[in-house]
Amino acid sequence: MTHAARFHGVSQVFGDFTAVDNIDLDIPDGKLTTLLGPSGCGKTTSLRMLAGYLAPTRGTISIAGVDSTRTPPERRNLGMVFQSYALFPHMSVADNVGFGLKMRRVPAADRARRVTESLELVGLAHLSASKPKKLSGGQQQRVALARAIAIRPKLLLLDEPLSNLDARLRIQMRAEIRRIQAETGLAVVLVTHDQDEALEMSDEMVLMKDGRIQQQGTPQAVFPAPANRFVAEFLGYENFLTDAGGATTTIRPEHLALSVSERTPAAETGAVLPGVVLDVAYRGVDVLVTVASADVSGARVELLADLRAESAPDLTPGADVWVHVPATHLVPLAAD
Amino acid sequence: MRTRHPIAASLAVGGYVVMLVPILFVVVTAFTAGSTLRFPPDGFSLRWFEAALTYEPFTSSLLSSLMLAAISAVLALALGVPVALAVHRGALPGRSVVEGLFLSPLIVPELVVGLALYQQLMVGFGLDNFQTLLLGHTVLMFPYAVRVTGASLALIDPAVEDAARGLGASPGRTFLSVTLPLLRPGLFSAALLSFITSFNNVPLSLLLQSRDFRTLPVVMLDYVQQNYDPIVAAISVLILAGTVLVAVIAERTVGFARVFGGINR
Repeated sequence: MTHAARFHGVSQVFGDFTAVDNIDLDIPDGKLTTLLGPSGCGKTTSLRMLAGYLAPTRGTISIAGVDSTRTPPERRNLGMVFQSYALFPHMSVADNVGFGLKMRRVPAADRARRVTESLELVGLAHLSASKPKKLSGGQQQRVALARAIAIRPKLLLLDEPLSNLDARLRIQMRAEIRRIQAETGLAVVLVTHDQDEALEMSDEMVLMKDGRIQQQGTPQAVFPAPANRFVAEFLGYENFLTDAGGATTTIRPEHLALSVSERTPAAETGAVLPGVVLDVAYRGVDVLVTVASADVSGARVELLADLRAESAPDLTPGADVWVHVPATHLVPLAAD
Repeated sequence: MRTRHPIAASLAVGGYVVMLVPILFVVVTAFTAGSTLRFPPDGFSLRWFEAALTYEPFTSSLLSSLMLAAISAVLALALGVPVALAVHRGALPGRSVVEGLFLSPLIVPELVVGLALYQQLMVGFGLDNFQTLLLGHTVLMFPYAVRVTGASLALIDPAVEDAARGLGASPGRTFLSVTLPLLRPGLFSAALLSFITSFNNVPLSLLLQSRDFRTLPVVMLDYVQQNYDPIVAAISVLILAGTVLVAVIAERTVGFARVFGGINR
């Protein structure tokens, strides 16, 4: 596998705060990689180091096989889309998109053609004469994308690109960015704190916490097998149980079943734990039921079951229930 | 529009009355046909305007004032913009101390500044009074230049400058093609404020005057100490008209609020 970029032992220390702590990271070529984690996990700092806006305190960053640790941003040839879009307010859309080409002294005729191409790719060719402030948030986002793509960058870097858009537009832009990635074949690095976004968009996802990489892999590999409790919690695993040997296991709310008698459903092997219903939240498609229980080690736990509404037993707070924990869906976790 | 509290509203109206009514009297008396400053005026004529514009001390000192204000405004900007950039964009240790230091001329009494400049520059270094006044006015206007361009710089998203760098612009190119154009309203308002501050300055100009170089306010002050005729009212009205004209041009070109707030859309 070829690499678009590589972090080798990279740290970023601000005073006594270590934002990024000795990470090794390979960004695969031609794929969309997401850096996922809560705020303060080091994902944006890593992206800014890759773009050249921050010099690593330690370690090296190579881009397309060349050590670029000390290369200033203007000589890295990377396309960056900022969270605030950062369009030039005093220039038209076309001049924004053409800025990078002008800096590269591309002749005017070529420049105009490539600006049009880039704007067509994001579906905004008809707005080339507008000023950015006349555009909606979604349109500004597309201009920022076109501007980054127009320079034919080695990598496309997206810093929380969808966080300023409303919910519907955000879903739409996920597909749009996937399409642009596929059409251009560019390696894309996308920073996000939204696990749904990362799961839906990534070829490769990198989960970060406290400046360290917790887990890396395809969504299909990471989602069913979180490596530790942090990753599990971040991906929506709500239930943590200690097994007979003292190790922690986790299970998703939708894999728990509840019954009023111990024996049904009896199809699967696994633990059956007695409990008391604390809360029932009806959500249309499904019902979320919180149950106070105890795991096999005897420790008190609160379990969350996500049941399909049409097959859920009729439960009210205070009711006694049995929680069925199928062994096949239990995921063993490493310590954090 | 926001509804105001009646007491606040009447205070505001009262404030405007106190500020504007005396000016109105000056304007009206300037058009008198008589030869004393009196209200109501004796008839109507433009004779005092003619007198003001042909009175040599006024015309030559007006030119001096304009020249002094223009040059020192340019100097204050040339010094103030790099400082504002360093304070807002640079990794300056203890930047609040630095900023405070650069704003300090605002709190030192101008007479003290004037006396210090007189002792050091005119007596000590033998500079002539124009050079000394130029330096003095530049020092006085420097805080305005730093403050106003700084306020306008603080409103520019630093990501815009990062974006330019990422697209291939060197730091210098980024400043010229992105920062400077976005800073233009701030520069314009800083220049205007500096110019007006210099043009209106009395204490410094009074202390550092000489027979060869005197500013208009000093000459006017001198004149009213000896004479009491409408020529002073007429020159005041002419200055007022000039100021209003500048304000109208500022409003038409960039917008008043933006010029005096130094704000960019």
